[in-house]
Amino acid sequence: MTTMPKRARAETPRPIILTRAIRGLAMGSVMGLCLFAQGCLSYEWAHQIQWDSRDQILTSEESQVKLRAAQTRLFDTTDRTEVLRAAILSLQDLDFQVEVLDEELGIVSGKKFVEIERPKLTYDPTYHLYDDAGLLLFTRQYRRWGPFWHRSDLVRMTVTVRKRNEAQLIVRASAQFYLRPLEEPVPYQMFFRTLEQALFLQGQLVE
Amino acid sequence: MKRRSLSGTGSLGAWLALAASLQVYGCAPTPSQDLFALTEAQMKLRSFQTRTFDVKDRQLALRGVIAVLQDLGFIIERANEPLGLVTAARFSEPNYLEIVGVTVTVRPQADGRMMIRANAIHNNKPIEDPKIYQNFFASLERSLFITKE
Amino acid sequence: MRGSRGWARVVLGLALLGLSSGCVTVPPEEIFQLSPESPKNRAIQTRMFQTSNEKELLSASAATLQDLGFEIEESVWDVGFLRAAKERSAREWGQHIGRFFVLAATFGYVLMPIDLHQKIAATLVARPLNQERSRHEVRIMFYRVVWKGEGYVERSGIPPGEQKSEMIRDPVLYQQFFAKLSKAVFLEAHKI
Repeated sequence: MTTMPKRARAETPRPIILTRAIRGLAMGSVMGLCLFAQGCLSYEWAHQIQWDSRDQILTSEESQVKLRAAQTRLFDTTDRTEVLRAAILSLQDLDFQVEVLDEELGIVSGKKFVEIERPKLTYDPTYHLYDDAGLLLFTRQYRRWGPFWHRSDLVRMTVTVRKRNEAQLIVRASAQFYLRPLEEPVPYQMFFRTLEQALFLQGQLVE
Repeated sequence: MKRRSLSGTGSLGAWLALAASLQVYGCAPTPSQDLFALTEAQMKLRSFQTRTFDVKDRQLALRGVIAVLQDLGFIIERANEPLGLVTAARFSEPNYLEIVGVTVTVRPQADGRMMIRANAIHNNKPIEDPKIYQNFFASLERSLFITKE
Repeated sequence: MRGSRGWARVVLGLALLGLSSGCVTVPPEEIFQLSPESPKNRAIQTRMFQTSNEKELLSASAATLQDLGFEIEESVWDVGFLRAAKERSAREWGQHIGRFFVLAATFGYVLMPIDLHQKIAATLVARPLNQERSRHEVRIMFYRVVWKGEGYVERSGIPPGEQKSEMIRDPVLYQQFFAKLSKAVFLEAHKI
């Protein structure tokens, strides 16, 4: 192994710009990693990430069938008004504010806020800047304190009641929680138990 | 008896009083007495915003209004049949900064015709150009008389 | 001398402020005029069904929207109107990667805000196509609103909440929706 004489090595200095660039990149990378690390603890990384956010517009079919089965029950009655009334009672029991009620189409929908991700300070005045109704269509102001801090605790639920056949009605409940569709079967089981108790009827699973 | 110097406390008192009054009254502007008074300009505008059509059925008129708004690219926000009300809005893509909202009311008149009034707002300011309303009613007329077949 | 320079600064500052905040815009005349894309959009967003049962069509539309994860926000059956929305995360890998590279390239001075949260909404209108009400058409419009998170440029923070709205114009999405609706009503969805 031939070693270069020290003087020769000193005669080939690295360009200054390259040194600065490497230093900058290193600094940027370290900062980026710090931010990533901080991000892991922050709001961002608690939520789904995807390659194209437009994929969320229509859902994928993979988990749909099982989810549909968990969300749906059949009831041996033709009295849609009664089932709607029971659905409203169940939503009220769960502290939902019923906002949509359509007797002709058989739709009940409500929302509520749950106690998660509340700010660590005792009182966050910016929470009240958030105007829920202002997001009806899209906010009229150019820049608005993001809803994300205050939408993560929003739970929305819709119940539809439709005629399955001459003797049965089909009830489907779907909910949204923490910016995701609620896909756990257990909460739906509990909801239907409340509904069955209000109706004095047993719900059957759809095959 | 020592006389306490009051000058410092006086100005401090004044500041405290000012701060207290601001807390109580805030810096909010007081509404003028004419806030809800109708002005000449508004009365004139009403004539541009209103048109009467030869449509007997309110539901048909309302559906016609909804259809024309959808054709114009508006997103329907609210619709109420018994009150004859439709609210819609649209933004100009891709520039979000411009947003147009419109409220349309449909009222049956005594002579069997339908009075339709449109209020349009552009970026929180009411639109006062009569030509824009003319365009709306021209599009609405086309839509209403196509669906009559 | 100092006074005039001070005034000049004030005027310049106000001018820049005016430019940066955008000039007061005049409402464009074409807002209520049909544009050349209107018929194309209408064709993408509308299908005809051979049925006289409008309520069933609406009820099936609500069920289809529910199947797609939407929550019904407004329902007015007498004018055949439904409005539904769902909120989802709008985070994208591409934006995270872009943000990292911008951060590295500017040596930590610029952190770009990225999309965090989106609300996807749909408004659906069903109406009869003839006097006998034997044919109905269903028109649905999908749109979404996306909000960005916070960022900073050289120590001055960019507040979160920047909003961007977008009409969905992809015909495939609408085809998929109508395919599902068609299955729900056991009827064929005809293009208009």
